[in-house]
Amino acid sequence: MKAVFYTLLLPLLFLLVACDLEQEVEVKLPPHDSQLVVECYLEPGKNLRAVVLESVSYFNEPDLPLVPDAEVFITHQGKTIKLPFSPYQDQKAGKYFTHRRNEQLNLSPGDVVTLEVRDRKGRHVTGTTTIVGPVPIEAVEWKFNDKEKAYLLTSFQDDPNAENFYRYMVHRDSLTNDSERDFVSSDRLTNGKRVSYGSAYDYERGDTLVVSLFHIEKQYYDFLSSVSDARNANGNPFAQPSRIVSSVQGGIGIFTNLSYDRKTVIID
Amino acid sequence: MRLPASAVFFFCLLSLFASNAFAQSSYTISGFVRGTGSEEALIGATVAVPELRTGAVTDARGFYTLQLPQGSHTLQVTYIGYEAATRTIEVSDRNLTINFVLLAANSQLREVVVEANSLQQKLNANQMSVETLTTREAKLLPAIFGEVDLIKTLQLKPGVQSGGEGASGLYVRGGGPDQNLVLLDDAVVYNASHLFGFFSVFNPDAVESVELYKGGFPAQFGGRLSSVVDVKMRDGNKERISATGGIGLIASRLTVDGPIVKDKSSFIISGRRTYFDIFTRQINRLQEGKEDFSPIPDYYFYDLNGKVNYKLGEKDELFLSGYFGRDFFGFNDEDFQFRFDWGNKVGALRWQHKFNPRFQVNTTLSGSSYQYNINNKIDVFSFNLTSDIRDVALNTDFSLILDKGHTLQFGAMATRHGFTIGRLNFDSDDNRLSFGAGNDYEATEAAAYVSDDFQVSNRLSLNYGLRLSAFNSDGKTYAAFEPRASAKYNLSERTALKASYASMMQYIHLVANSGASLPTDIWYPSNDYVKPQRSQQVAAGISHLFGQGRFMITNELYYKWMHRQIDFRDGANLFVNDDLEEEFLFGKGESYGNEVYLEKIKGRTTGWVGYTLSWSYRQFDGINDGRRFPTRYDRRHDLSVVLLHKLSKRINLTGAFVYGTGNAYSLPVARFAFQDVEGKSAIVVPVYSDRNSFRLNAFHRLDLGLVLKLKPKWGEADLTFNAYNAYNRRNPYFVYFEQVKDEEDNETLGFRAKQVSLFPVIPSVTYNFKF
Repeated sequence: MKAVFYTLLLPLLFLLVACDLEQEVEVKLPPHDSQLVVECYLEPGKNLRAVVLESVSYFNEPDLPLVPDAEVFITHQGKTIKLPFSPYQDQKAGKYFTHRRNEQLNLSPGDVVTLEVRDRKGRHVTGTTTIVGPVPIEAVEWKFNDKEKAYLLTSFQDDPNAENFYRYMVHRDSLTNDSERDFVSSDRLTNGKRVSYGSAYDYERGDTLVVSLFHIEKQYYDFLSSVSDARNANGNPFAQPSRIVSSVQGGIGIFTNLSYDRKTVIID
Repeated sequence: MRLPASAVFFFCLLSLFASNAFAQSSYTISGFVRGTGSEEALIGATVAVPELRTGAVTDARGFYTLQLPQGSHTLQVTYIGYEAATRTIEVSDRNLTINFVLLAANSQLREVVVEANSLQQKLNANQMSVETLTTREAKLLPAIFGEVDLIKTLQLKPGVQSGGEGASGLYVRGGGPDQNLVLLDDAVVYNASHLFGFFSVFNPDAVESVELYKGGFPAQFGGRLSSVVDVKMRDGNKERISATGGIGLIASRLTVDGPIVKDKSSFIISGRRTYFDIFTRQINRLQEGKEDFSPIPDYYFYDLNGKVNYKLGEKDELFLSGYFGRDFFGFNDEDFQFRFDWGNKVGALRWQHKFNPRFQVNTTLSGSSYQYNINNKIDVFSFNLTSDIRDVALNTDFSLILDKGHTLQFGAMATRHGFTIGRLNFDSDDNRLSFGAGNDYEATEAAAYVSDDFQVSNRLSLNYGLRLSAFNSDGKTYAAFEPRASAKYNLSERTALKASYASMMQYIHLVANSGASLPTDIWYPSNDYVKPQRSQQVAAGISHLFGQGRFMITNELYYKWMHRQIDFRDGANLFVNDDLEEEFLFGKGESYGNEVYLEKIKGRTTGWVGYTLSWSYRQFDGINDGRRFPTRYDRRHDLSVVLLHKLSKRINLTGAFVYGTGNAYSLPVARFAFQDVEGKSAIVVPVYSDRNSFRLNAFHRLDLGLVLKLKPKWGEADLTFNAYNAYNRRNPYFVYFEQVKDEEDNETLGFRAKQVSLFPVIPSVTYNFKF
């Protein structure tokens, strides 16, 4: 009986040898009308900087699609500042910017700042952001298991009187490394509660962790969620394709302000 | 709207006009057709009266009725796998009950197709747009991994499509898989699939037959827009205990049936279980301790079917059926435990009472539930998510044969639904963390119906009826009339015209955002915000017999309107969301097409060819900027060719070829670079435009099968060999765009499209036995 049983399993072998189930195919894309792509974050203590690129047909060459004729304007409290086209790379942060001006805005929570981008093709992108205040991290704690691995718990208090959105990031050693954990969350299920974000047993004694809690605008939450959904849809047959929900009008992108609390801890 | 309304009017007018045309005095001849050996009801057996060119087909209980004039008549009864029976009766001045017990043909197991329902009877049947499949037929056809699946075999019929390779969901005439009413012995089954939709929950050994209604729905059925899948379980052998089973590539099954009290009561119990987990555990054990080895999670499913029937007397019989199935997916580690299980529980108690040969009632009390649980524990943190739907239902269906060719069907149903949606608990042992979410809803659904099957003359018959349905949830009540009508007209002995109209309502909705059938798909009631779905369908067809009655060709045209269709906004969170209704989008749909079906069911070579030309669209304000888009399963051309050939007494050969236009699919048309904030790497983001604006490559596949009968001393056995996807076609499952990077410096070199296929050629062997 055992022999019969194993004979019945022989076909499994065929299955294992026949598994070349991915192949390159040709897909003809319709002509794409390029749109301006804008990324601009207002951050306390940082100069005004923006990236203006454009979207390209998926199979175009992987060049950086610069738009040198784009003009960027930022307006705060009736004062409009023009950011000239001046590409440079911030070596420390590893970030690339196309437009900048060595000027900082004196921002307070509740302030409204607007963005306008124009180019010679007549493309016109606008956006608005309302400055939010940071939400303090109340505690960063960790606990070891018997294998000497620790989990991390970051806690903060959600404001019950407002609809809040958060972005949580954990970096190892410094911000120059890509984040180990990064997610966005709303207070839909936790309104007014003390919220804790946990982790798996990922950490050891001596690890230096940079924990950041961004208090973000809804439009930033929607944009990041849609970016994540769109990326997941490419390669996941079960996912519904998702369009990018931009915070700007007339193009693609995000204009928002970054308000965060950041703590650096050494696991001991 | 104008066409269906006028169609109903036309049918009503016709029935008034014709009601006096049938004045001949006739008597009702009725009875059961059963098979010897098992004494089980034979569903779809033909009872013919050749000299009058009339006849009937037995219903789901093996019951038939005929109207015959006075005189001497010969009744011929035929059924696949059984010897034909002939009996001459004398109709004088009263109704008669004539029961038949057919002798099993000299066959091993139940695979030999001796004779199917005659095509002539099929031509004469009033019901159109219905596909019937018995386990006998399905068992002969090749199946993936050798696992016979009646629901997947139905996908080979015209007008019925699969959602994707290997999937068991049914897309009927442009409707979604959420729009099928799946019934098991009259009880609703909510999630009829195992293993993410690759297998249906119906164990073929426990199932007698399945009927799929694609249109022209009888008034008795309601609650879903697009189809009714009516699955009937086998009755147990009434004469002796017997066992049937099989050992296959991925699962084994065993069925035992027999009498409890001879001639009064019998039982059947059937179970099957997969055994991937036995091998994966072995692999895990062998690889334990090796670096870079991640243990393979456990997965298995099992299901149990049982049925008991008890004859209380000549007029009363009770049937108790049950189904219990579970899928289990789990992972265990010291620090991390994950368990995901889901399944259905279904039970039905049916009481059949015959007041007299012309009047009978079936009353069914049933319960059904579907539930999934996700339990996740990481050391002190625990996470638990549950959703379910629970039903208790009472149905009663009367059948009354009147004079002058009228047969009335009427009845009522009431269902109490309970829903738990996204019940979430998140805790830690030290109580530092604790929060929960989720909603509970209750709803009541009720309906009453009446229909008249009117044999106007030998050429013309009509069926018209009305269903009144209502739904109440959360203080909101919806009610609707659902008119149904159909007509058949025999142009000649060999050619029949049929037409139908049906209006359907659907009060509960499947919250699913993918093309696949996932265990986390949940049901949601209509309420103040989410209104019931509605469809209307008209169909017209012609059937023609040729080749001395050996072939029949049928052509059906259909058009279906769908109102208040449901989809979800981009990026909808359907998993844990206390405000789920905010994610719904409402729109409309339409589908239309033409189905051609050529079949041969007698002789050494049998089979069918089905071809469907169809279109299926949806339109939502919140999708595609309000422009109409094709559904993912919009399939312009769909062809299936199924052939069965009896090579010798011991060998049967089978083949099935399918071809379909590629699924409509969404792909990104553009991309942009996103740098993100400090501490994040730049990424490429795809930009999607219109939904489903691309087509995957065409799908085609040939499956081959061979059934070899063995001659063991102790009973019957066979070996079934299958080659799924015999020419190893790489059919598209999905396409994605890949970023090609230089391996050394990680620099992006370009982008390309990759197609992923699911199944290569899959040979399999199954050993079946019966004693």
